[in-house]
Amino acid sequence: LARILNLLPGRRRRLETDFERELKYHLDRRIADLQLSGLSESEARRQAIHEFGSVDAVQEEVRETWTWRWLDHLNRDVRYALRTLMRNPSFAVTAVLSLALGIGANAAMFSLIDQILLRSLPVSEPERLVHLDWKGYAVATSWGSGNLMSYPLCRELNEQEQFFNGVFCRHPTTVNFSTGQQHEPVRAELVSGSFFSVLGLSPALGRLIDPSDDVRPGGHPVVVLSYNYWQNNLGGAQEVVGRKVLINNHPMTVIGIAPASFTSVDPLEVPVLWIPAMMTREAIPELGARLLDRRTVWMHVFARLQPGMTAEQAKSRIQPWFRSMLDADMRLESFPSVTNEQRAVYLASTVELHRAARGLSLRAGFLERPIRLLAAGTLLLLMLACLNVAGLLVARGAARARELTTRVALGATRRRITEQLLAESTLIVLGGCLLGLLAAPAASRVLVSYLIPDGDLSFRFDARVFLFASVAGLVAVVLCGLVPALQFGHKSLIASINDRSHGTSRGAVRLRKAIVVAQMGFALVLLIAAGLFVQTLARLLAKDRGFDSQSLVAFAVNPPGIGYSDSASVQVMRDLHRALTELPVVERAALSNSSLLSGGSFRRTLTIQSAERMVTERTVPGLRVSPGFFATLGTRVITGREFNDSDVPRADERSFRSVIVNQSFAQRYFGSRNPVGQRIGVGGQPDTPTNIEIVGVVEDISFRLIREPEPEHVFFPFGQPGPLSADGSFVVRVRGKPESAFPLIRAAVAQINPALPVNNLSTIDERVDRSLGTERMLATLSSGFGAIALLLSVVGLYGIVSFTVLQRRQEIGVRAALGATRSDALWLVIRDGLLMVGAGIAVALPFAWALRRLVEASLFGVGAFDAPTIAFASGLLIIVSLVATMRPAWRAASVSPTEALRFD
Amino acid sequence: MASDRFPIPQGTLDMLVLQILSLEPAHGYGIAQRLQQVSRDAVRVNQGSLYPALHRLEQKGWLKAEWRQSETGREAKFYTLTRSGQKQLAVEKESWDRLTAAVQLVFNTGS
Repeated sequence: LARILNLLPGRRRRLETDFERELKYHLDRRIADLQLSGLSESEARRQAIHEFGSVDAVQEEVRETWTWRWLDHLNRDVRYALRTLMRNPSFAVTAVLSLALGIGANAAMFSLIDQILLRSLPVSEPERLVHLDWKGYAVATSWGSGNLMSYPLCRELNEQEQFFNGVFCRHPTTVNFSTGQQHEPVRAELVSGSFFSVLGLSPALGRLIDPSDDVRPGGHPVVVLSYNYWQNNLGGAQEVVGRKVLINNHPMTVIGIAPASFTSVDPLEVPVLWIPAMMTREAIPELGARLLDRRTVWMHVFARLQPGMTAEQAKSRIQPWFRSMLDADMRLESFPSVTNEQRAVYLASTVELHRAARGLSLRAGFLERPIRLLAAGTLLLLMLACLNVAGLLVARGAARARELTTRVALGATRRRITEQLLAESTLIVLGGCLLGLLAAPAASRVLVSYLIPDGDLSFRFDARVFLFASVAGLVAVVLCGLVPALQFGHKSLIASINDRSHGTSRGAVRLRKAIVVAQMGFALVLLIAAGLFVQTLARLLAKDRGFDSQSLVAFAVNPPGIGYSDSASVQVMRDLHRALTELPVVERAALSNSSLLSGGSFRRTLTIQSAERMVTERTVPGLRVSPGFFATLGTRVITGREFNDSDVPRADERSFRSVIVNQSFAQRYFGSRNPVGQRIGVGGQPDTPTNIEIVGVVEDISFRLIREPEPEHVFFPFGQPGPLSADGSFVVRVRGKPESAFPLIRAAVAQINPALPVNNLSTIDERVDRSLGTERMLATLSSGFGAIALLLSVVGLYGIVSFTVLQRRQEIGVRAALGATRSDALWLVIRDGLLMVGAGIAVALPFAWALRRLVEASLFGVGAFDAPTIAFASGLLIIVSLVATMRPAWRAASVSPTEALRFD
Repeated sequence: MASDRFPIPQGTLDMLVLQILSLEPAHGYGIAQRLQQVSRDAVRVNQGSLYPALHRLEQKGWLKAEWRQSETGREAKFYTLTRSGQKQLAVEKESWDRLTAAVQLVFNTGS
C-alpha cells in the first residue's frame, strides 16, 4: 500500500527532499573525514564522489524501491495522457461523450433486461420452482390469463407430497383499498396458504399468510402488505401490524409485512397486498361463489421440486395421479355434459412443468421482442461510438506520428509508446463509462416510460450492471485503443522523416476510410430500422379501429367493490348513466362491462343455429353493452340495428334475448348470408339452447389492442346481474376538450356515492397511445438511434474528407495547373465521399437482410426488407453525406495552381 | 577494477545492514563506516549502493527511519531495526549458516 501512496505528489516530494538531504549528509561527512586525513577540499570531494559511485544511478535505484516500476510508468502515462487530452479538449469531449452515450444506453438497457428477463426471484432456491400448465382441455370457465387451474386442484396438488416440496397458487387482481377515509384501487394478489412458506420467505414484520389462513371461505380477514407500500405510504410504522383496513369495504387486519427484497412472482405486476384465497368473495365478488368450483380455472399454480429432482422426472411422476384426477372429476355429478370429442381431449390432458426461477410474467413475454430489438439497437450504437472514438484516435495518432517517432528516436521503446497510447484510450473509455453510468438512470427512465409506463421498474445500479459496464468498457478500450496503437506499431523513423504529407502514412488514411465505411454501414442499418418502425406506427395510427377516438372519455366504477349487491350495483350504474347524459358537456354516454383498450374480455364457446347447428371452433369474446354504445363510439352498424331498451333483460330473466355480432363473426359463420334474425346460444354442449336472436352486425372494433383486432366478437345487452357482469365501464362522448369534462364526471360519481372510486379515467386518445406504447417507443427510439448514428458517421466522413483535401492540395494544384477545371476538383472530392457512402451501403445491405427476421414480427403493414424504406434511408444517407463533403469539396475547388509550387 | 577486496553477493548486503543495525541505530554514513571497520576492509561496497538497500529494507518494513541529531550536531537520517526486521535477520542468519555449512561439507568431502 505504501508503494501506491508513494505516487501521491506530496509524498513523492518529501521522499525526494529527504533523500537529497541524506545524500548530502553522507557526502559532507565523507569529505570532512577525508580532509581530516590530510586531503585538500577539492581532492576530498573528488575522492568521496568516486567512492560513492554514480549518484544518478543510485538515485534512480532508490526511487525504484519507493514504488513498482510498472506503477510508476502507469502513473506517468496517465498524467501524460491527461495532459495531452487537456491540450485538446474538443477531441476529449467528443470522444468521452460518444462513449458515454453508448455505454449509458447499454447499461440502462442491461439493467432492464436483467430485471425483466434474467434475474431470479429473490426467494430461497428459485431454481427449484416450476409453473404448472394444464395442456389439453379443462372443460372449465377461465378467469384471467395465462395457464390457469382451479383452486381445489391447487390444494390437492399441495397435499401430494410425493411429487413436490409444496405447491402454491396466486391470482392477481385489483381491489379497493382503504386505510381510513379514501378508497383507492390497488393491485392485490389472492394466494393459497402455502404461498409464502413454499417460496421460503420470512416476514419483515409480524407474520405472513400461512396454511392456518387457508381453512374456511370468508373466515380469514387478514392481509400482508408489501414492504414498499409500508415504507412509502405508511411511513414504515411498527404499529401497522394489527391495524384494521378495508378491502372492498370489508374490514381486514394487517398481520405482517412481506420481506423487502420480494415484490412478486411477476416482476412486472407488483401487488400492494396479499389476501388469503379463502377471502375471494370479499376481494373479487364475481368469483366468490366459484372459489371451490373445480370447473372454474383462475389460479396460476407453482410448485417447488424436491431436492435433486428434475422438472422432467417430476412431470412423468405426476401424470398417473393427474389422469386419475381427470377420471374422478368426470364422474362427478356437477361435470358438464360434453361431446365425445371434447371428452376425449379432456381425458388426454397432461400437466406440463415450466421452470419458474425467474417467476412468471405474461407481460415480460410480450416485452421480450421489443426489448431484444432495443438491445440490438443499443449495441449497434455502442459499436458506432467505439468506431467514432477509434476514428478520432487514428486521426490524432496520424497527426502525432512525428512526435511519436521522434520519441522512439530518443530511446522510447515501442512497448512504452503503445502503453502510453493505451493509457490515453483507457482514460477516454473510463470517462465515458463514468459519465454513461451517471446518465443511465435517466436513459432507463425514458425506456421504462415507453415500455412499462405503470411498472415498478427503475434503474438499479448493482454489481451486475457494473460488471456489464466494465466488460463493455473493456471491449471499447480494445476496439478504440488498439487500432491506433497497431497502426503506429509498424512505422519506421525513416518513413516518418521522409513522409512529407503532414506526417501521415497512406495506411492511416485507409484505416480511417475503413472506419468511416463501417460507420456508414451501421448508420444505414439503424436508419432502415427507424424507417420500418416509423411506418409501422403510422400505419397503426391510420388504421380503421371501428371507433372515433376524438373527444371520447372512458372510466370505470366497481360498486360491488365497496359492498353493493349485484342488483344494487346495476341500479347505481343506471343512475350514473342518467346523471351523465344530463350533463350539458356530455353528448352521449354508454356502458359496457369491460373497458375499451384496457380491460380483458370474457370468452365463451357459442352454438350457432342457422341452416345447421354448429359450435364455434374457438372461444369468442363477449361484451355486454348498453343501448347507444355503438352510437357513442361512432361504430358503424352494417345491417340490422343497435340495442334499444327493449333488448335489456328484466331482473327476473336468466338469459339474453338479443345479440349483436361483428363483421368478422358474420363473415366466418354466415358467409354471404344475412345473419340478422338467426339464433345462437351460449355454450357448446349438445343441449345448449339457441334462443338468442342476432339483431345487428357492426364493423370490427379494435377493442383490446389497436394492433390486433379481435377477429370475432359478440355483444350482449348490458343490465342483467349474473356471472358476466364485472365492473361498469363508461364511455362518454363529450363536447369540447375531453380533459375539461374530468372534474364534472368525478362530481357526477361523487353525487351518487362519494366513496365510489372513479377508476382509470382517461381519454380514449390516451389509451390508443398507451396501446401503441411499444410501437411508439420503437419508432421514437430507433429514429433517435438513427439520427445519432447519422450524425456520428457524417462527422467521421467530414473529418476524413477534409483531411484528404488538405493532404492532396498540392496534387490538386498540379491538376489545376495542367488545365483541370474547378468542377473536376469538386468531383474528385465528392467522388471520394460517395465511394465511402456506397461502400457503407454495400456493407449494410447484407446485414439488413440478415437482421430482417429480428424485426419482422414487430412490424405492421410493411415488410422487413422493404425496398422503398431502404431506398429512402440510403437516399438520406447520401444526401447528408453530400452536404458534409460540400465544404471540403469547395475548398478543393478553390485551390489555385500556385499551390503546386508550395512545400511545407 | 581489480582488487583484493571481493564484491559481495546480491542480498548479502541486506543481511549485513540488518546485522549492523541490530547492535544500534545508525545513519547511512555510519553504516558504511561500520561495514568497512567490521569486515576489516575485506568487503568492497560502493558506498552509494548502500542507499537502495536501505530504502528497500525500509519499504519492506524491516527498518524504521527518523531524523535525529548525529554526533556532529547535524541532523541525519537514522535507521532502526524493527521487530519484523529482527525476525528477518534471524531467518537470514539461519539460512546463511545452513548454506555455508553445506558448502563447507561439499568442500571437505570433495577434496
